Amino acid sequence: MTEEKKAGEVERGGISRRSFLRDAGLAAAVPAVAPIARAGEAPAPRTPAAPAGPAASEDSCDGPTMVQLTVNSGQYRCEVQPHWSLRQLLRDEIGLTSPKDWCGGLGACGSCTVILNGRPVLSCLTLACECHGAAVETAEGIANTKHPVIQAYIDYNAFQCGYCTPGFVCTAKALLDRNQNPTEADVRDALGGNLCRCATYQQHPPAVIAAAAELRRDRSRS
Amino acid sequence: MKTWKRFAHIDVGSVEQAADLLRRGNAALIAGGTDLLGGMRFEILPDYPELIVNLKTIPGLDYIREEGGGLRIGALTRLEDIARSATVRSRWTALADAAHRTATPHIREMGTIGGNICQLNRCWYFRIPDNRFHCVRKGGKTCYAMAGDNRYHSIFGALKSCLAVNPSDTAPALVALGASIRTNRRLVEAEKFWDMRVPGSTVLEPGEIVTAIEIPAPPAGAKSAFLKFAIRKSIDFPIVNCAVMVAGGEARVCLNAVHNRPWRATASEDVVRGKAIDEALADAAGAAAVAKALALPGDRNKWKIQIARTLVKRALLASA
Repeated sequence: MTEEKKAGEVERGGISRRSFLRDAGLAAAVPAVAPIARAGEAPAPRTPAAPAGPAASEDSCDGPTMVQLTVNSGQYRCEVQPHWSLRQLLRDEIGLTSPKDWCGGLGACGSCTVILNGRPVLSCLTLACECHGAAVETAEGIANTKHPVIQAYIDYNAFQCGYCTPGFVCTAKALLDRNQNPTEADVRDALGGNLCRCATYQQHPPAVIAAAAELRRDRSRS
Repeated sequence: MKTWKRFAHIDVGSVEQAADLLRRGNAALIAGGTDLLGGMRFEILPDYPELIVNLKTIPGLDYIREEGGGLRIGALTRLEDIARSATVRSRWTALADAAHRTATPHIREMGTIGGNICQLNRCWYFRIPDNRFHCVRKGGKTCYAMAGDNRYHSIFGALKSCLAVNPSDTAPALVALGASIRTNRRLVEAEKFWDMRVPGSTVLEPGEIVTAIEIPAPPAGAKSAFLKFAIRKSIDFPIVNCAVMVAGGEARVCLNAVHNRPWRATASEDVVRGKAIDEALADAAGAAAVAKALALPGDRNKWKIQIARTLVKRALLASA
């Protein structure tokens, strides 16, 4: 339990939603998330956490399974149900609330974007049980590493209410990982799946281009 | 957010294992999952799969390679990888452009070419949550688009009483480029790959799985193009799209989102055969493409006829 509380606090600072619920006596179930002490260890194949029921075939999982994954450079071993989304695992179990829900899980808004093995993907349409061995980056992790895209978004006022911002930031970071010098067209193309109801769209290309310039300066300094 | 009803999940190691599981019961295949999981979340179909069979754990189905001058793409290749491939862009331009115009960057990073050609249609009566319209495509007796709001529906009539259109962007490119679809059982010409099934869109039999796309070397001097009409540049499904390949006086023209299957516009191909394509000829080819098109009663989808005509013209000019 102590370890679980630490996992939430390292990422978010202060009281995590999970630890709040637990301390308030509201969390009925045993927490299914545990951080893993040794990083960099190759995970064993995904295993059922409970025996498979009659509907399943010999190797399938119709109950919870254990997945081991890296989230923002922290290692986690989590018990997940087959029908859980990655978004659900990140928010409700690990306590990272940056992947938002806007379109209701249609894949139409980009608010739940995270970077999965280097690709910007929709965590609402990704099954948690398929993320065994995966490396996930969320907006929290991008902010914790002081990535220049965060400051650029602030400098260029590339948000108003901020609800869609974690999705934009993840998408922009994934673009900058593969393109050091994006044009405005590249940025518009890459951010084409992220909606912003405050309509801050015109602010995003200069912000991302400025972040790219800052990254290039960082590289030339080091 | 609506959560999924429970299902079992299995990672498979081979196509044979996946096919075996498909034959045994109420199972669905997952690759990128962007079509399957959205549909399941809103329970659009009367049946909910008990088992999800994960194809992504099968090794060796994610590749783009040139073989004997032709192109071979593994079924699990992400659309974004196809869109960014210099190989695909160099000689199979229409496919690179089609992949690039599909959905959103995120969905292209998740979705595969195999899934894109097998996706279910986007008819809003078919897609409405909780199977509220038990239409002909779900084993019912009625096509609700027939008397309902059919502004995005077929301009070339119904197929087996269904007015839905095929929403794939890559499908017309594959037809125009003369591709074939390799499954675990056979090789099907792209042109013959799609059909109206309940609820599917392809001729795949139970237990049949797409493994690769095979595209022949384009003829010498060939140029191809893909154009898409949608309200937004990103995210949207096509209202109409069109792919064209022109080589040595011959053209292959294919429209999509105009009928239940991708629509090969052979009348346009006849118009341009053996002639140099200019504005007037391309215009005549566009007119030929929609000569047999028919707006549905009430004319709600009549606008699509003009769009189809113009896309054929522009795609031909872009490939000339």
